[in-house]
Amino acid sequence: MRRGRLEDEMELELAEHLECLAADLMRAGYSAREAKRRARIALGSTVVHKDAMRASLGLRLLDELGADVRYALRMMRKSTGFTAIAVLSLGLAMGANTAIFSLARQLLYERLDVPHPEQLRTLGWDQDSKSVVHNMWGDFDPDGHGGLAGTIFSYPVYQGLLKNNSVLDGLLAFKDDRMNATVRGTAQQVQAEMVSGNYFSVLGVKLQLGRAIQPSDDAVPGQGTAAVISDGLWEREFRRSNDALGETIALNQAAVTIVGVAPRGFTGLKNAQTSVDVFVPLSLQPVVDSKGSKSLLSDPDQWWLNVMGRAKSGVSESEMQVPLDVQLAAQVKGTMTVTAADSVPRLTLADGSRGIRFPDAQFLKPIYVLLAMTGLLMLLACVNVANLLLARGTQRQRELSVRLAMGAGRGRLVRQMLVESLLLSAMGGICGVAIAFLGRNAIPHLLSAPWKPLAFEVRFVWSVFAFAGGVTLLTGLLFGMAPALAAMRAEVSSTLKESSQNATKRRKGWGGKSIVAFQMAVSTLLVICAALFLRTLLALNSVDAGFQSDHLLLFAINPPEQRYSAGKDVQLHARLEEALRAVPGVQAVSLAAVPYISDSVSGGQVQLEGESKVGAGGQPVLHNADFNVVGNDFFHTMEIPLLAGRGFGQQDTATSTKVAVINAALARELFHGANPIGRRFLMDLPQGWLEIVGVCGDTRYRNLREPAPPQFFLPYVQGTDVGDMTYAVRSSMSEAELVPSLRRVVQQADRDLPMIDIRTQVEQNEATMSQERMVASLMSGFGLVALAMACVGIYGVMAYSVANRTNEIGIRLALGALPRQVLRMILREATWISLAGVGVGLGAAFLLARLVKSMLFGLQPADPVSLIGGAGLLIAVGLAASWLPARRAASVEPMEALRHE
Amino acid sequence: MGEQEKQLDLLQGTLDLLILKAVSLGPLHGYGVLLRIQQISGQALVIQQGSLYPALYRLEHQGAIASDWGESENNRKAKFYRLTTAGRMRLEEETEKWNRMAGIMGAILLAQV
Repeated sequence: MRRGRLEDEMELELAEHLECLAADLMRAGYSAREAKRRARIALGSTVVHKDAMRASLGLRLLDELGADVRYALRMMRKSTGFTAIAVLSLGLAMGANTAIFSLARQLLYERLDVPHPEQLRTLGWDQDSKSVVHNMWGDFDPDGHGGLAGTIFSYPVYQGLLKNNSVLDGLLAFKDDRMNATVRGTAQQVQAEMVSGNYFSVLGVKLQLGRAIQPSDDAVPGQGTAAVISDGLWEREFRRSNDALGETIALNQAAVTIVGVAPRGFTGLKNAQTSVDVFVPLSLQPVVDSKGSKSLLSDPDQWWLNVMGRAKSGVSESEMQVPLDVQLAAQVKGTMTVTAADSVPRLTLADGSRGIRFPDAQFLKPIYVLLAMTGLLMLLACVNVANLLLARGTQRQRELSVRLAMGAGRGRLVRQMLVESLLLSAMGGICGVAIAFLGRNAIPHLLSAPWKPLAFEVRFVWSVFAFAGGVTLLTGLLFGMAPALAAMRAEVSSTLKESSQNATKRRKGWGGKSIVAFQMAVSTLLVICAALFLRTLLALNSVDAGFQSDHLLLFAINPPEQRYSAGKDVQLHARLEEALRAVPGVQAVSLAAVPYISDSVSGGQVQLEGESKVGAGGQPVLHNADFNVVGNDFFHTMEIPLLAGRGFGQQDTATSTKVAVINAALARELFHGANPIGRRFLMDLPQGWLEIVGVCGDTRYRNLREPAPPQFFLPYVQGTDVGDMTYAVRSSMSEAELVPSLRRVVQQADRDLPMIDIRTQVEQNEATMSQERMVASLMSGFGLVALAMACVGIYGVMAYSVANRTNEIGIRLALGALPRQVLRMILREATWISLAGVGVGLGAAFLLARLVKSMLFGLQPADPVSLIGGAGLLIAVGLAASWLPARRAASVEPMEALRHE
Repeated sequence: MGEQEKQLDLLQGTLDLLILKAVSLGPLHGYGVLLRIQQISGQALVIQQGSLYPALYRLEHQGAIASDWGESENNRKAKFYRLTTAGRMRLEEETEKWNRMAGIMGAILLAQV
């Protein structure tokens, strides 16, 4: 609109000039006609002047660009097939890249949403095997040289560190745990974080509503009923209403009052991917999260509390670590009994900007592999488009020559070519962002257990769009290079005269073929990798877990400590077990402290009665074994075979002899073939000596990857304090039919008890494979896209080759070649290209498979099925794609072909 | 070409300065600028009429002059250019630079070697 007015004004201004000039000339004595003529001569060409005027405003570049874009669009419309294939392949690759990039950014680089997250430091320790710290609840792992590394402290040690802290800017403590909450009448499980009074002020988090938890809330152990809820819970349960403030929610049966709502995006300190739902003061620990009769707030021996601080600017890591280490040693010696034989943990500092439990260990490698694969896919798409552009080259070559002959500048032509390429890549980019958007929504589902809220969300932030834009620009330039170079080299005379036999033909042909061979190589690599991961997933799925996963429904019941003290929880579970068994359609019910294949495990050490061997220092030999506390009907419900002796039964009660069942692996380890029935062992539990009454079959425990460990089982009815248990209900009814009646039974027992994490055992098994499933699904997608691109590539280059050789083929046929021979000739050529590419791809896949060995299961990196299958598939696809051009070549009419030239 | 013999071609880059000077004396339309420059120079300079408008547009784009549509002497719509504050500052600057350059050039060319 403004542009139109500008043009009018320019016109008007120049006309006015002419008018005035002519008037002056007439005054000087010229005739009207002569004056006008002279005026026009004096002023010169108005078209040229207007162009110069536009140029002065910087509009000329824009105009030319507009013309280029219009021309490019017209070219695209003329060849919609080419455009569609190019845009689609670019879009798929770009979408894959953008989605994986946003996933990587979210999982590997996302920081906590607090001011200056880079200042946060997680306090931790490293201890050797003689350490004075034994009782731990929370985050610790083997440190790799025989000791442990952890990030948990006792409350008294934290208090001491806080009191004497001078090196850090604030020191806060917190503990994450899952709790039962009743919010507006519905019982549900929430992620809670107990926080020190200075938590919000040290983090600098400003609440969006109400007030934060303050030091006064956290002052008296057992008191302080203030709770801050997350933005997510506020939205979910209170529909963002201000009335939430002042409402009471029951947290593990203790009433707490909502005083504030945390800002959107603040996830607590666990990690930046999943959000805490409720924050309460640490002083409430004995009330909402009691672990036994003793308050953890005064227990110096139990280490459980996470501690973080803010680094002061300009202070080096060692300037912080050394004094804190001295303090830690002093606090440990001040609060615990440390003998000469005990050692004290050494303090460590780690980056806390991403929380305490970021998912690197699980995701780093898969995501790097996926990033590499999407990179290859992008390269493949670029090559594909470049190849298609080259194939169109002849036609363009002529056009370029005509334009050069008419006086176009070379720079102008190169720009035209680049505009066309960039337009293609921009369309691909838009298509790609749309595909990435779908991927962004789908990928978290692949990684989340179906019965839980999404493990995380992938957010699209500016860096994701910047990435997509950057990739678009880069790819546009990359595949636009070939036509641009062609435009640079184009010559006026030779191409206009060019006949089909040209010296440069051969070289161009080779360029196309080597590009296709490269495409085949990359596709082979991608397809073989997809096959490896798919076969890993299949292998995991076909693992015999040792128990029957089908028709098994799981859910957890967590009796809160205040209502169900030690002993009472056992009674509750016994009541529930009985009542659930009576539900129609239920075939068997059992319960276990740790559900199978849930990435958790209970481990302990057992000491065998009468064992002759004695370890170092006269200590009895201890054997490591995993264990589980289970219901009486456990082996029947899970369909684990009993190999000797008996399972648990009515005769096993709280007062009868304490009994245990061991699995075959433990029997082998402890008894080496001797009869274990009636033998006794001891472990660090209040039960005392345990008599072995049966031997059962081996089962996998933590996940399906690890082989069945040595295990033993204890009946929960003989325990004193069992806490939360996971129920397993065997029934042939569907989940939807069964759950309502089960829920009724649970609510009859206690209205505030939620059925937590309702899922089938099959879903449970699959959840531990979510990462493998994600990689396998995405890789299969990439493999398919790669296959399609290889197909298009080889078809394109063969079709081009046949079209160019029509003349030659005509001569061959005229001289007596049979169509069959021509067909074979073309297919042979295509097969050579395929073979060369597949060979290279096979080698690369062989090397890459070694790098991802740790991600594979049940197969060797050089898995013959994947390698041979992938290679065979690519060769077959190559043949199929060249069949059509070969047929066309064979059906060439010799006369027609010869007349053609 | 007899008439043109005593006229001088414009030095590169001086047209902008002349336009600024011309409109500094009061708003003018394009043809007026041309006339005024010729008038001040005593008809001693040749100005390519076509190059005037691109220069005017350039100066306007740079903000040294601004324009308004108004009535010309013969009651027609015409675009009038006037000097902006930025233009005035630029005129002073360029004038000073020009004078210095002219002085230096003069001194050099007068020097007796």
